Amino acid sequence: MQIDAKEYENASAYKSLIESYAGKPEYLLAIMQDMQRQYNYLPRLAITMIAAHVGLPVSRVYAMASFYKAFSLTPKGRFVIRVCDGTACHIKNSETLLDQIEKQLQARPGETTADGLFSVETVNCLGACALAPVMVINGRVYGKVNRSDVERIIKEYGGQSDAN
Amino acid sequence: MQTEMNLGSDDRQTVLVCCGTGCTANGGREVFNAFETSLQDHPEIQVLPVVKATGCNGWCEKGPLVRLLPRDITYCSVAPADVDEIINKTLLDGVLVKRLLYRDPVSKEHLTSHHLTDFYRKQHKIALRNIGEIDPGQIDDYVQRGGYQALQKALLGMKGQEVIDTIKASGLRGRGGGGFPTGQKWQACRNASGNTKYIICNGDEGDPGAFMDRSIMEGDPHTVIEGMILGAYAVGASHGYIYVRDEYDLAVQYLRKAVDDARQRGYLGNNILNTGFVFDIDLIRGGGAFVCGEETALIASIEGRVGEPHDKYIFPTEKGLWGKPTVINNVETWANVPVIVLHGPASFAAIGTANSKGTKVFSLVGKVVNTGLVEVPMGTTLREIIYEIGGGVLKKRSFKAVQTGGPSGGCIPAELLDLPIDFDSLTEAGSMMGSGGLIVMDDRTCMVEVARYYVNFLAGESCGKCTPCREGIRALLEILTRISEGQGSIGDLDLLEDISFTMQQASLCALGRTAPNPVLSTLRYFREEYLEHIEQHRCPAGVCRALSIFYIDPEVCNGCGVCARHCAVNAIQGEKKQAHVIDESICIHCGECYRQCAFDAIKLR
Amino acid sequence: MKITVNGQEREAHAGESILDLCRREGIPIPTFCYHQAFGGQGACRMCMVEIKEDGQSRSRLVAACTYPLTKTAEIITESEQIQRIRRTIVMLLARRAGENPLLEELSRAYGAAHLPAITVEPANCILCGLCIHACAEMGRSAIWSMFRGVDKRIATPYDEASDDCMGCAACARVCPTQAIKVEEEDAVRKIWNKTFALVSCSRCGKYYATREELEYLSKHGDFGQQQLCETCRKKNLAYNIKTFQQ
Repeated sequence: MQIDAKEYENASAYKSLIESYAGKPEYLLAIMQDMQRQYNYLPRLAITMIAAHVGLPVSRVYAMASFYKAFSLTPKGRFVIRVCDGTACHIKNSETLLDQIEKQLQARPGETTADGLFSVETVNCLGACALAPVMVINGRVYGKVNRSDVERIIKEYGGQSDAN
Repeated sequence: MQTEMNLGSDDRQTVLVCCGTGCTANGGREVFNAFETSLQDHPEIQVLPVVKATGCNGWCEKGPLVRLLPRDITYCSVAPADVDEIINKTLLDGVLVKRLLYRDPVSKEHLTSHHLTDFYRKQHKIALRNIGEIDPGQIDDYVQRGGYQALQKALLGMKGQEVIDTIKASGLRGRGGGGFPTGQKWQACRNASGNTKYIICNGDEGDPGAFMDRSIMEGDPHTVIEGMILGAYAVGASHGYIYVRDEYDLAVQYLRKAVDDARQRGYLGNNILNTGFVFDIDLIRGGGAFVCGEETALIASIEGRVGEPHDKYIFPTEKGLWGKPTVINNVETWANVPVIVLHGPASFAAIGTANSKGTKVFSLVGKVVNTGLVEVPMGTTLREIIYEIGGGVLKKRSFKAVQTGGPSGGCIPAELLDLPIDFDSLTEAGSMMGSGGLIVMDDRTCMVEVARYYVNFLAGESCGKCTPCREGIRALLEILTRISEGQGSIGDLDLLEDISFTMQQASLCALGRTAPNPVLSTLRYFREEYLEHIEQHRCPAGVCRALSIFYIDPEVCNGCGVCARHCAVNAIQGEKKQAHVIDESICIHCGECYRQCAFDAIKLR
Repeated sequence: MKITVNGQEREAHAGESILDLCRREGIPIPTFCYHQAFGGQGACRMCMVEIKEDGQSRSRLVAACTYPLTKTAEIITESEQIQRIRRTIVMLLARRAGENPLLEELSRAYGAAHLPAITVEPANCILCGLCIHACAEMGRSAIWSMFRGVDKRIATPYDEASDDCMGCAACARVCPTQAIKVEEEDAVRKIWNKTFALVSCSRCGKYYATREELEYLSKHGDFGQQQLCETCRKKNLAYNIKTFQQ
């Protein structure tokens, strides 16, 4: 497995984060979540260090990282736009919001804009169904949004207007 | 409302600002802050009102909600700019701000309190009893409303077995989906051999379209904790875990504080209420996987493994977390426990139907006028919930179906609106109680697409371990997609049923066994709609893009221009006040114009 | 403990699985994901059987490989609905491994309908999970099942050469559909995106194992130290036993 030499600069920071937990598999999820929160993704070196700390093979930690939605294997943008596609939002056409985002940012769910500013994701349900359709940017909830709201909101975060 | 009068230690005025997710998104926090700052500008007020941020009142439609006690006044859709007026008129002079009151759409009367509205009057709150009434961050608020009295009653006067007998007598069944009798589950765990036992609260609410557990954890965290302590005492557990969905930041925040506060007060820890009883709780943030709502997958997740279920031929009550006897109940189930223990099982068992006792919280969403959380006695009919509490279908369109139970449930048609809902009636109708999502669908909802939506959801959420679920879902999704694109054949319907049979009978866990429900229930009640897609290549709801061609009826169109403004690709042209036209060569058939037109001028070919 | 299987009475040990009983008694139950060495996983669901235990009024379908026998019961291993389930499972799995002889034969035997093939990685993998167990039993766990749902697949982390892989190919040997590619040419073996140098047998000269595997084995016991291929090792053993007996 290849690890970029530059990543080793963070090794001691990873180490102190990881070692704030005892080296047992039961802390695996928690360590990975802290790492994800801190770096917005799980760096390769961090994955190998976590595996060593809790005494599990790297493949099992990677399997966790690829299984659970809370984790990302590649760096995310500064602003993470999550469009809810729960049932309530879906039948109120959350797809339209994604169309607008793609038009403005040229990014589909799962992608990050070239400038690293935005990541676009869909989530299954944010539990704010009464406000459907819902969009969340870095924890801030926007309810009952339509196409033009999306355009305005993205601009507030420094995104462009429609590209065309 | 006597209970609310007792909330404060004196009859100080109290301002309750709803800061549930819905109201917060609409500016509830700003309203709360405005009250706090503006009140500082009134040195003439001798006893300043108490301002509290509460959990979700459930009436998200009208938020942000501001409630004034002791007079029980409710203001709707309050903006920070309204705060000064509320302080000056209502708090200081006792005059109502009429424009902020809810106006009954039928009687046109202004109602002073939300308790007088149909949305609330028909509800019966047990699990949600404190939500909206207390500050979830204040343990004293909970205690003042009778909190931790059930714990005292049990620890100081009941044996563990008596607590179980009480739960059994109440008829409480698990609110997470399956409806397994809670008392029976506890008994199995109590009877299991071994000294180490665990209690788990399943807060990994994942049904798309359901948010009752979120509201309980955010609005009344102590009731969950008290329920768990009672459960631990009953089965003999000394440690518990609350597994909370990762996306629920606010819930995590309140639960964390609640656990700390409870520990400080001696409700948790090494010597609870000085009785020597030991129990403590850890909080675990879920990794983000719908399948972890399944007990064995949730356990795998806590143990630091991928959330794959295994066969439950030996129940977790015998061999659960770390191989030890474990009771797992969902948030709403735990929230009912303190009430049952405190008031006895009889009053709980008096509510509901023969085999489903008590109340159930539903999240009423979709194409319905009043969206939000509702708690009603088991046995309430769908019609009562949707029409009397929910105020009917949005924009007065016609009702088509209500989806219950999320991806494990099904779509129930208009013919069954008078069905009294409980665990068994919904299963008989081919759906499921699930955790309590009620999603109202109108004639603009395509049932093939609804089935496809749920199967697509599960394609990403199945753990992928067993063949029937993983490969069955893949095949169902292909077939449904084909049908929604007009490429289906009659034989596809048999294939859907054949694959569904094997998934129901042979899948490893409940996710796979119930995954075909959205498909089978729509096939059962809406077969013609499938046939219309297959034989006439037409989607009557105008949803399936490949099959929906729209045109504007020049006789009806009044040229308001709403459709043109909403068109993503500028395919609609027309002069103001003149009939508009859709350019078929540009149109992407998204149907946005069709849904936006208030005059039904846009038709489906 | 008396267990009736297809009408005939058998004796089971308490706690053993239905499948273990049936295998011992020579009653056939088809499986993909079961291996004697690893026990039941309950993943492929081919081994569904009907069981009615003492005190139950109706029989139910369970996976034979994971269901523990704890009381007197009646078991049926072949019925119309069991056949229907197995046919559908074969139909669904055949899409992943259409040209594999095993699935081809089973499709014929069960009369399973033909569905369009799908592309999976590695090709022909039916996700039985035996390779993961084999690798874990070797103490390496270089591979695991990654991602989830319809995207689930067996892989090394990042699909790259894994430090944990020693090229022993135990995974390939247990694979029922020959989905794991092992390329060997002269003294080189390629498996799971990693290239290994092969060591030759000190007696017959045949290339038989990777250096990493031998190093690992010698660290965990005295295997591999003599550098003998399987055939020569057996010959050697036979010779030793003979000498000892004399």
